Amino acid sequence: MSAEPAPPRPASARAREFRRIPAEMLKIDRVRGGLVVAADGLVITASLPRAIAAESLAALTATLGRELEVGADRLKRTTFRTALFSADDSTVFLGSSAVGFVVLLEDREINVGLVQWALRKALATLEGAWGPRAPPGILASGLCRLAEARP
Amino acid sequence: MLGSKFQGGRPRPAGGGFTSEGESNHVGLLRLLSRIWDAITSFTRPPNAATVFRRADLYRQEGRFEEAAELAAHGLRLAPNNGVGHLLSAYLHLAFRQIGPAKGEFQAVLALDPYHRRALLGLAKIALEKRDVAACRSLLDKALQYYPDFPEARALQDMVSSWTMTPAVPGQHPVYAGPPIQVEKLKPPAGRREFVLAQADGTLVFSHQGDKDAVDLATYVTQVYRIASATLQRAGRGALRREIVQAVTETTYFRSNDRLIPALSFPEDVKVGVGLLETDKLWTNSLRELGVRA
Repeated sequence: MSAEPAPPRPASARAREFRRIPAEMLKIDRVRGGLVVAADGLVITASLPRAIAAESLAALTATLGRELEVGADRLKRTTFRTALFSADDSTVFLGSSAVGFVVLLEDREINVGLVQWALRKALATLEGAWGPRAPPGILASGLCRLAEARP
Repeated sequence: MLGSKFQGGRPRPAGGGFTSEGESNHVGLLRLLSRIWDAITSFTRPPNAATVFRRADLYRQEGRFEEAAELAAHGLRLAPNNGVGHLLSAYLHLAFRQIGPAKGEFQAVLALDPYHRRALLGLAKIALEKRDVAACRSLLDKALQYYPDFPEARALQDMVSSWTMTPAVPGQHPVYAGPPIQVEKLKPPAGRREFVLAQADGTLVFSHQGDKDAVDLATYVTQVYRIASATLQRAGRGALRREIVQAVTETTYFRSNDRLIPALSFPEDVKVGVGLLETDKLWTNSLRELGVRA
């Protein structure tokens, strides 16, 4: 009983758009990797250095993204959009969209403005491929049917 | 028995049990026709639940969540007690940020298989969102008990096991017991929205807000710091030093070492340079006040 493994996928326009995101990001100087992860922790697409395990990083990224979303909600703040986490020698960017989260790994001497612009572009691509952001619950009619189907 | 092999409990002659070449060709032709017929009718025959769930999972992995949800719902109507279906349904609810229904679906999976590692992981993540760290730890332990090589669960367990402080009773928060603070030294700049100073264990040290809001804010700030630190570590980066979180109408600036985390919020129209500068000033003053080295 498992829904985990990923056999070869049929190409779709949306999947192609998603896969293009990390590829575009890696063209920026000093960007070392990128990841698109769903809110449930599913890796939608990843382009990471070999030493980094995508599944583990995705699990933490989705948890971080959700904490930022849920925390904003709890504190009655407006919706979280992007975040930057800086270490001594590198930076991680995180962006939120309806599809999930976009993560970028950078070296320290990064052009923050350029990366933020690229991240916003990536989020716009995600949203464009998905459709306009709507409140959860009305996004997919399928979900209503999903709830109805529960025994 | 030479020339025969054991098939399905009954000895049969070699060559499938045919007595002549003509008969063998005839049966082979019938088999071929049968396969062709199956292939043709498979286009018109409704797919079974397993096929539907497989297709739903493919859509999900492509980020086509709405179509996946439609298929998962359809599959669950065909097979209401299918574990894969409930798991998919849980994932899709999570993808749409519908936590209550997702939890119900993960529990449905566990009702069928009490040690299903992905259902346990899903519930652990939900417990973490609800700030129930004890429940999260317990679920991760259970998932890893039978599947020690489960990278996602291991990553989360490594993170939560390093958290030193968790309130014994939900709703109770630790109280600051360090040296007294001169409030005027930690006066936030004009135009700021919120300022909170927390310890890395979640203790609220100082705030300019009401107690309840300040405790909630300190908890949030600490939780973000902890998860972000674990994420950076997992990504092979160094220790977390600075965070900037941009929301629609405000931006929050954090500084941190392994002991202190000040967080300062400004309206979105305040320039990033100003936010960083003011946060650095408060950071320096906070360290001095508490006698902490950077």
